[in-house]
Amino acid sequence: MMRVACQGLGASAGDTVLLDDVGLSFAAPALIGILGPNGAGKSTLLRLLAGYRKPERGVVSWDGRPLSHWTATERGAACGYCPQQFEPAWNYAVAEIVGLGRDRSPAKAAPLETILEENGLAALAARRWSQLSGGERARTMLAATLATQPPFVLADEPGASLDMRHRLALLERLEAYATSALVIVVMHDLDLALRFCDRLVLLDHGRVAADRAADAMLDDPAFAAAFGLRLQAEPRRPDRDWVIGLG
Amino acid sequence: MKNRFAILGASLALALLFGAAAGHDWVSPLKLASAWSGASDMESRLLLVWRLPRVLAAALVGALLGLGGAIFQGVFRNPLAEPYLLGASGGAAIGATVALLVPLGLPGGPALAGLSFLGAWGATWIVLAVSGLHGKPDTAGLLLAGVAVAAMLGALRSFLMLALSDDTMNLQVVLSWTLGGIQTPDGPGLIMLAGLVIAGLLLALSLARGLDLLGLGDEQAFAFGLDPVRFARRAVLVGAGIVAAAVAFGGLVAFVGLIAPHLARWWIGPRHRALLPASALIGAALVAFCDGLARAVLPPAEIPLGLVTALIGGPFFLLLLARRLRP
Repeated sequence: MMRVACQGLGASAGDTVLLDDVGLSFAAPALIGILGPNGAGKSTLLRLLAGYRKPERGVVSWDGRPLSHWTATERGAACGYCPQQFEPAWNYAVAEIVGLGRDRSPAKAAPLETILEENGLAALAARRWSQLSGGERARTMLAATLATQPPFVLADEPGASLDMRHRLALLERLEAYATSALVIVVMHDLDLALRFCDRLVLLDHGRVAADRAADAMLDDPAFAAAFGLRLQAEPRRPDRDWVIGLG
Repeated sequence: MKNRFAILGASLALALLFGAAAGHDWVSPLKLASAWSGASDMESRLLLVWRLPRVLAAALVGALLGLGGAIFQGVFRNPLAEPYLLGASGGAAIGATVALLVPLGLPGGPALAGLSFLGAWGATWIVLAVSGLHGKPDTAGLLLAGVAVAAMLGALRSFLMLALSDDTMNLQVVLSWTLGGIQTPDGPGLIMLAGLVIAGLLLALSLARGLDLLGLGDEQAFAFGLDPVRFARRAVLVGAGIVAAAVAFGGLVAFVGLIAPHLARWWIGPRHRALLPASALIGAALVAFCDGLARAVLPPAEIPLGLVTALIGGPFFLLLLARRLRP
């Protein structure tokens, strides 16, 4: 089972410190949420964990091996990384994008048709990127990311452009996937994070402000402090999908 | 897909036929057929010895330009990237100018090839370093970087020509290069050019998957197991080699590297495994056709090929640019 760890991680952009002395360790299976206000360093942490960005200080290791010792091919096979922004330069078709994701480790992956079928994309296979809705785009990218069944998944706000129903469906999918893999997701929906994640890491000003089991996070004073908000928690009725605060 | 390639092949055949027929003296297809089947009159021999190699060389240079353009567009992830516009062709021409005009004491052929390659490679690197690989490609920035590099290289080339040319023969060769024009090759030259096209195509195809991935953006390409920086380095090396070969045999020919991949993408889709050979076929057809025009428009004079492609390709480029700049 996959283990991912980082120690003394530091990164900055010019004079601004993005991350400062971040040490975390994760083990599969788990669904882990990274929370924090804007500019807390969430995306930077994810990029460092994925290896896309090189740390200025500290080290990231996957399965006990420093990330710098992994080849690009090994890395692509082990990790499904879903960046926040995706805008292809060419107008690829759905099947082409999923195929490119699948081909990073074709031996372990199911046939392309099966993957498209399982992700409800069979009817869209020939549709081009410019003709897809936000929900269809997210489904395509998730299918491409998970096509090779990577033991480790990193996703940066995968639900950002989705409506409530698609967001819920996305997290249900990730929750199911996380029963046999390590899934780390940057999220802004606190309610969904509390509901679906096993463990939550709260970042604030580039530091780990809290790192707790999901059901204990609300009681941590750092949580309300980081967002500068006083929060009210209500239980959701079992026959309802989502709670909406009134007033 | 097969049908679409068959149509491209047929277009190339038509362009070759036009190229063979066009010229100071237009030749009928019948005459071409009789020359091909070994008729021994003067006109047939001239056709076989002079015009046919010229037409084939034009097509092969066009194939190189199409391939080079497709690689450049793939690396820069921009349908307006083009070896000529980005200064790579100008870099190759500088290399060739130096090889021709500076007495380096090196053997002529290899020095010319090596310096052309270095020039194309260096110019591409400057543009890549200025415009950057990360994030969303910026069309305006990329084109401006290319314009600046191309302008500097043009000035440098003019200076070299003014300063170093006491030998008018070489000066004329350099000048004809600048304007773009296919030289009629001898047998070994033609075989070497064909070999370069085949090698270029194979090398380009080895980049196909990486170019596909790079088209997803460098971060997503990274996520799918590509090292974008290292790959771009390799792709630019191959692209510069192909551009240098095209410049060595055909001079500075504008816009073919822009139009060919563009039409190929529209006709065959964005996947590079099909896009690269399709660009080569379209580039070959375009240059064979334009070279025919260059020989036929103003007889008995021959207008430079670069003028023909610029006059046809310029409006095409402006149209694309206008469409891209409007949201």
